[in-house]
Amino acid sequence: MTQELKLSDIHQGDSLPSVVKHITQREINLYAEASGDFNPIHIDESFAAQTPLGGTIAHGMLILAYVSEVMTQAFGKSWLSGGKLSVRFKAPARPKDTITTSGKIDSIEYKEGVPYVNCSLESRNQKGETVITGGAVVKL
Amino acid sequence: MSPISFEQLVVGYEFPSTSYQLSESVISKYLEAVGGQQHFLTSGIVPPLAIAAYAMTALSQSFSVPPGSIHASQELEFLKLVPIGTTISCGGKIAQKVQRGKLQLVVLEINALNQDKEKVLSGKATIVVPS
Repeated sequence: MTQELKLSDIHQGDSLPSVVKHITQREINLYAEASGDFNPIHIDESFAAQTPLGGTIAHGMLILAYVSEVMTQAFGKSWLSGGKLSVRFKAPARPKDTITTSGKIDSIEYKEGVPYVNCSLESRNQKGETVITGGAVVKL
Repeated sequence: MSPISFEQLVVGYEFPSTSYQLSESVISKYLEAVGGQQHFLTSGIVPPLAIAAYAMTALSQSFSVPPGSIHASQELEFLKLVPIGTTISCGGKIAQKVQRGKLQLVVLEINALNQDKEKVLSGKATIVVPS
């Protein structure tokens, strides 16, 4: 795990370290095998070509793993136990896409003396289109 | 068990629980798929998104997802660290099923328990289904 942020390091408006991933059909197939989700829209190129999507797409949960990676890099175990995430899948990620996932600290709240960090998160493809948008809360 | 049809899903329907043993080889395979984060292997902790992935797969394999369905949103809460080697039980239920014009919105509640029956993850997924 990389250096975790401490409360004294965190300020409203700070950016979290980004994660950049290049998606290939190989990664999507690997994810299907690892997760057991073999929906043909992800892995069957000829089937997917006949659908309105026009081709295979990555599993939403694969892209969500990149969102969690941003939070893990920043907050470590505080994220892994006590983190909360809420996202919308806005557009599919496709093979050959490069997905950049970034985050920002929106606010720090105290509830009964305990600090909670509210973050906004998004994943965009190489065209700048939003793939995932949402927020996360982590208790420090 | 054969998947039940989408039409048979009613609010309150509880999905049968499915168990997964999160061995080092299972987690290695998951980490290869998501492109790194090998620190999970050295720390011996399961990535929470791996648990979420298994929980979602357990539910989605329990019913026939109509073609054209879209995973629209996801909420997750990570409640407890899960050491590699843990066996988790994943389950859930239909929390909401509403018609919105030509679409149906289905909200699935998901959860995962460790072998001590402690909840390690909970969440909600919204699936949009063309009708």
